[in-house]
Amino acid sequence: MKISSFRYLVSQGITGIWKNRMMTFASFCILLVSLLMVGLASLTAINLTRIISGIEDKSEVVVVISDNADKAAEAELEEHLKAIPNVNSIELYSKEEAWNGMLDSMTEEERAFFKYADENPLPDTYRLTVKDIELMSETTAQIETLDFVESTQSPTTFADVLISIRRIFTILATAVVAALVVVSLVIISNTTRASVFARRKEINIMKYVGATNAFIRIPFFVEGMIVGLIAALGALLMTKFAYEGVYNIFSDDSVIWVVMGMKKLYSFNELLFPVSVSYLAAGAVIGAVGTSISTGKHLKV
Amino acid sequence: MVEFQDVSVTYNSSGVDALNKVNLKINDGDFAFVVGPSGAGKSTLIKLVLKEIDATSGTVLVNGFNLKKLRRSKVPALRRTIGVVFQDFRLIPTMTVYENVAFVLRVIDAPAKYIRSRVPYVISLVGLSDKAKCYPTELSGGEQQRVALARALVNDPQLIIADEPTGNIDPALSYEIVELLKGINECGTTILMVTHEHDLVRYFGGRIININKGSIDFDEVVGGAHDEN
Ligand SMILES: Nc1ncnc2c1ncn2[C@@H]1O[C@H](COP(=O)(O)OP(=O)(O)OP(=O)(O)O)[C@@H](O)[C@H]1O
Ligand SMILES: [Mg+2]
Repeated sequence: MKISSFRYLVSQGITGIWKNRMMTFASFCILLVSLLMVGLASLTAINLTRIISGIEDKSEVVVVISDNADKAAEAELEEHLKAIPNVNSIELYSKEEAWNGMLDSMTEEERAFFKYADENPLPDTYRLTVKDIELMSETTAQIETLDFVESTQSPTTFADVLISIRRIFTILATAVVAALVVVSLVIISNTTRASVFARRKEINIMKYVGATNAFIRIPFFVEGMIVGLIAALGALLMTKFAYEGVYNIFSDDSVIWVVMGMKKLYSFNELLFPVSVSYLAAGAVIGAVGTSISTGKHLKV
Repeated sequence: MVEFQDVSVTYNSSGVDALNKVNLKINDGDFAFVVGPSGAGKSTLIKLVLKEIDATSGTVLVNGFNLKKLRRSKVPALRRTIGVVFQDFRLIPTMTVYENVAFVLRVIDAPAKYIRSRVPYVISLVGLSDKAKCYPTELSGGEQQRVALARALVNDPQLIIADEPTGNIDPALSYEIVELLKGINECGTTILMVTHEHDLVRYFGGRIININKGSIDFDEVVGGAHDEN
């Protein structure tokens, strides 16, 4: 195919947008709403996942070190702990720190009483977080077999609750997003089919004068792709406003998040790149492929 | 050249035998009228030539293509050797007169320069130079049919087939359309025209093929009233 022909076909696709503006507008709206629905649902899911994982990160396992462990033994224990695959981070909390922390949290009188205690009764501990909260009990059991471990404390009941919340949430979020995707695809394919159907005579005439299928399809493809891209841009803008609106409400009371030990929501800018890429790619692909598939049916003359 | 050898067509959907062992040969440069009552199978004949449908049995040869053996992907190549004119014009409503005609050349990947000179020339042949920028809906039926004619002849096809090209236009304008077709024929293009208008056939004369209930029952060259004057 000559460059001039190709340029002609692309320009046909572009002018087709305006010439068929009624159907184009319908496709545009449907695509925009679909992208918006799926996009907002996904963003909600991503943030809820982050909140849950924030809570998970806060659930620490406390490893109490035996009194008879010297510095070298403690260092060796630390190495062993680090070698456990499920251990994420590890921090030493010395008995002095623990003691000062305890004093800090006391009232004036209590402190006066304890100030003269001649010996610090608290043990050195390691505080560690795990990568996968579901393996917490196994990890704890493993730690207890190590030398110089006096005992461990882990929030296993709490972990179990979190695990089931996370499971239910993952299933729900996947189901909701999948349902929205399916509904969108059905509506989109009906709309593009209707819009191509309105032009079947045109397609028919083109076939009578000896146009190949590719020749007829390219303008439709270009047209669908551009409409998809414009719808994606529109959806992106609307998502930004909606998202930032909600984000501002929650981040106003940033204290709450800290108190509840949660991570904050993602800011829109953090998500801008992946969201833009997904919207534009989905818009372009669905627009272009949807339209050219619908065209195919009318090409068999 | 068009050749039918024992061609029969039965429509599956209605079970109608539209054509019955038809034998027909139209040579290069011929001008033939196809006449016959409604439902006789005239349009079916046209559809066969365009490979819009396939013969149930028999062989159809068009411009060197054996249509039974022609693959789907080669149908555009066949259609590029044929110009078609329909009763209902079938112009693309979103394209101007110029674009409707130029489209045929774009399809065959003609050079832009050639398109720029050929299209205005063909539009002038059918007398529509001043309407080139109009859309089909802005034209009368007769004018639309002349655009369709321009489109049919723009790529200089070997054969032009016309299925009742005068069916939707003023009878007085019908003569004008046939005159145009005659002119094209004199330049060497084969013309096959289906019509209901006996006055037209009587006036122009020429080869007349009469189809009745799916069979050819008359195929002769008849002198026209037009020639006697
Ligand atoms: N697509 C189709 N499916 C089923 N039957 C058809 C189809 N097209 C035509 N027929 C039948 O085939 C027969 C011949 O039809 P055809 O269109 O060839 O007639 P025609 O000679 O062109 O008539 P007219 O002068 O009214 O246009 C008719 O009986 C018609 O009902
Ligand atoms: Mg007919």
